[in-house]
Amino acid sequence: MTTLLTTQPLPELPAEPMAQLTIQQLSVVLQDKVILSALDLSLNEGDILGLVGASGCGKTTLLNAIAGFSKPTTGKIVVDGHLLSCNGLNNDEHCVPAEQRQVGMIFQDYALFPHLTVKENIAFGISKLKKIAQLEQIDHLLAILKLTDHSDSYIHQLSGGQQQRVAIARALAPQPKLLLLDEPFSNIDARLRHELMVEIRQLLKQFKTTAIFVTHNKDEVFTFADKMAVMAQGRLLQFDAPSILCQQPNSYQVADFLQLGSWLPCQVNSVGAQSLLGKLDIDNSSGNNGSLVYLLVKSANLLLNVLADGNTHLKANAQVEYISVTEQGYHYYLSSLDDAAMDKSMVFDKLSLYSDIALSIKQQVVLTIKPHDFLFFNKSN
Amino acid sequence: MIALYNSRLWKLSSYLIALVLIVPVLVMLVGGLSASTQLFAHLWQTVLPSYLENTVLLAFWVVLLALFFGVFSAGIITQTNIVFKQQLRWLLLLPLAMPAYLVAYLYTDLFDYAGPVQRALRDWFGWQSPNDYWFFDLRTLPGAALMLALVLFPYIYMLTRGAFEQQDQSLIRASRLLGLTAKQSFFKVALPLARPAIAVSASLVLMETLADFATVQYFSVNTLTTAIYDTWLGYGDLGAANALASILMLLVFFVVLTEQRSRAGLRHQSARPNLNRELIKLSVSQQIIASVFCWALVTLGFLLPLILLIIMAVQYSDIAQLSVLLSTGVNSLKVSVFVATIAVVIALSLGLYQRLHNDKYRKVPQVISGFGYAIPGTVIAMAMLSTLGPLDHWINAVVEYIGFSAPGLILSGSIFAIVFALVVRFSAIANGTIASGIKQIPQSLDYSPASLGVNLKGSLTRVHLPILTPAILVAWLLVFVEAMKELPAVLLLRPFNFETLSSQIYQLISDEMLEQGALGAILIVLFGLLPIVLLNKSKDKV
Repeated sequence: MTTLLTTQPLPELPAEPMAQLTIQQLSVVLQDKVILSALDLSLNEGDILGLVGASGCGKTTLLNAIAGFSKPTTGKIVVDGHLLSCNGLNNDEHCVPAEQRQVGMIFQDYALFPHLTVKENIAFGISKLKKIAQLEQIDHLLAILKLTDHSDSYIHQLSGGQQQRVAIARALAPQPKLLLLDEPFSNIDARLRHELMVEIRQLLKQFKTTAIFVTHNKDEVFTFADKMAVMAQGRLLQFDAPSILCQQPNSYQVADFLQLGSWLPCQVNSVGAQSLLGKLDIDNSSGNNGSLVYLLVKSANLLLNVLADGNTHLKANAQVEYISVTEQGYHYYLSSLDDAAMDKSMVFDKLSLYSDIALSIKQQVVLTIKPHDFLFFNKSN
Repeated sequence: MIALYNSRLWKLSSYLIALVLIVPVLVMLVGGLSASTQLFAHLWQTVLPSYLENTVLLAFWVVLLALFFGVFSAGIITQTNIVFKQQLRWLLLLPLAMPAYLVAYLYTDLFDYAGPVQRALRDWFGWQSPNDYWFFDLRTLPGAALMLALVLFPYIYMLTRGAFEQQDQSLIRASRLLGLTAKQSFFKVALPLARPAIAVSASLVLMETLADFATVQYFSVNTLTTAIYDTWLGYGDLGAANALASILMLLVFFVVLTEQRSRAGLRHQSARPNLNRELIKLSVSQQIIASVFCWALVTLGFLLPLILLIIMAVQYSDIAQLSVLLSTGVNSLKVSVFVATIAVVIALSLGLYQRLHNDKYRKVPQVISGFGYAIPGTVIAMAMLSTLGPLDHWINAVVEYIGFSAPGLILSGSIFAIVFALVVRFSAIANGTIASGIKQIPQSLDYSPASLGVNLKGSLTRVHLPILTPAILVAWLLVFVEAMKELPAVLLLRPFNFETLSSQIYQLISDEMLEQGALGAILIVLFGLLPIVLLNKSKDKV
């Protein structure tokens, strides 16, 4: 077992712009099932990463591997310059036990100790400090997290939001090198959630804490994180600033998971891309002729034409399937029209459109796509 | 998440504990079942068929009666507007505290030819001799079945009541909306849904019946348990006693297996307990019948025997009795404290091992150690005798060989054997209580200490054990009380001149002199009330 990591302050290492967390080729296989496969990730000090993905994609396993609760099959985890886990040959010597990693975790259910008061919960991880230092640290955290009035309460006497703040205070008290948050906002009332996220983000920034938080709700990432990673089936699909993921998703899965728009199937040929909503002018120098691709269509890039009686030069190409009312106006799902002559692979059935124009179910309309920077994706990779 | 730790010492000791708990029973089974066919043939030609027949018949009648008492009282309490419902709800549990052999003795005393009831009847009607009238004879197999059912039915009542109360009320509401009356809903929905609970509790009653020794012995109904006892203590035939114990063991094994098979896939759970349900309104005559039924159970199973005991105690108690009570009481206390403490330590060790360790088979030690509860006390006692006896001889031989004087029967001839036997028998109770306490600790609490830099030892002493304190206390108390009450194993294993409260009372009962031990009997009943109070409390919390 390595003795590098103790709870004492670690010596400063010279390397200058060093990553706080580096993960290389991390794989986790549990009961012959690949949970994480060859994952690479790196975070700088103070970065907050929002990790999203459908349930079962390996998010929680990644957190557990970093925290030391799940054993990697291969790969390296380095936190603050210290190798925590390197299990090439199942050699336990290079696996630092969870309690020596200086990695904090906030659990989905907070995992607060029911038999201890708020103060005792916060003191739990710093019992090795001198009494005075402990008290200072606790008072400081109680004040910052507005828990001073509740310092002697037991956990069950607190509201959900207060419990979460205790969990945060307790995790921050030992000053972890890295903080992991496992769906920390999922148990919080929707109205309180946003407020809390802003509050905690400010706090993490104040402490310059590097953090990874897992969620299945992409909107939480936009509020809370500096960086965003999308996972699927044990792989990291894309990892960048949230704005970049929204503007330039690198795959069908990323765009689809983040619900950046709806999908229009297109046939690419030498002159451009053909869809049931007309021809799109694209530069097809790459020359993948005849292949089926999907255009990411944002509502703002769709032009709606309602067929008036005299308006006969236009031919309807879509009909309304579903209507709901939202604060942005009406929200429609549109499908392609049934036409015996058309190519079945290009049929669409759930094109999303926001509009102020009132339409009725099964009403036929004309949709056109405004020229813009088209984003095409293959469904397969 | 994987389990956190991999402590080799803990692993080794867990498997070792499980092994030690199971080995005596295995030794007995191997010895008993490999006994000569001649012995079996002899047993089969002489006593075994009637013993088996009595055992099976007794079990059948007890279960039938206990089901009748238990299911109906549970139905009445949960589904109707019976008067004094709040009182009856817990009063119906009290017969559990009453040992069946006490009830048997007291009622025999009461209804005997020379007892007060028949005397009064004779005075009243002017009868002269037994030939003038018919009166039921309690000291028969049906009588024994009734005695056992009167004190065992609360198992069925308790679990069935719990099942009714925890049923999803929307199921009942749905059946009402589909046109069924409250009464029809009970029979068509609530009762079928409670089937798993009824089956579990019936198998509990069945096992208690198979384990009973004193009641059948007192009524001279020869069952397998009495046969084991007589064969060993009467004829000193360890081989035959072992063989009989093995047969009884297989019978119990069969019951456990059947119960588990019938239960598989029959679990109904609900997150919405059925608390403010609509009750069946009883008519006046129904109200009277239901009340008489419930109050009769409470009276016959608990109140009347207790009153009889108190009268006895008031009439016959003296200083000499108190001093005997004190010395046997101290013996009982000693045994029970040892047993409860060891059982709780084992349960904690195995329960936390299972929870915290990364071992594919981590459940195995706990499952094995819970096995003993199904085994009747007589069988465990035979297991101890057949294992510890040879072990003692071996120890003596070794010690003499080294050159010291032989220590004697230090294992089989001391309270070690009793304590060991009772730990095997009651570990399951401690296991169950502590395992459910551990289950209530969220999994994340296993991980959070490590994320705060605290190791396994710190996690155990600062998180798990403090949180488990109430469960530990309850487990200790439950085992303590069971050990106080246990009789057959103590009777077979006690060293010379060593009496516990229960063995002394049994002795007095056999000698028809319970008056001498009425105070001790009351004490046992009072101890027996403790777990009922606890159970009732924890049930109410849910």
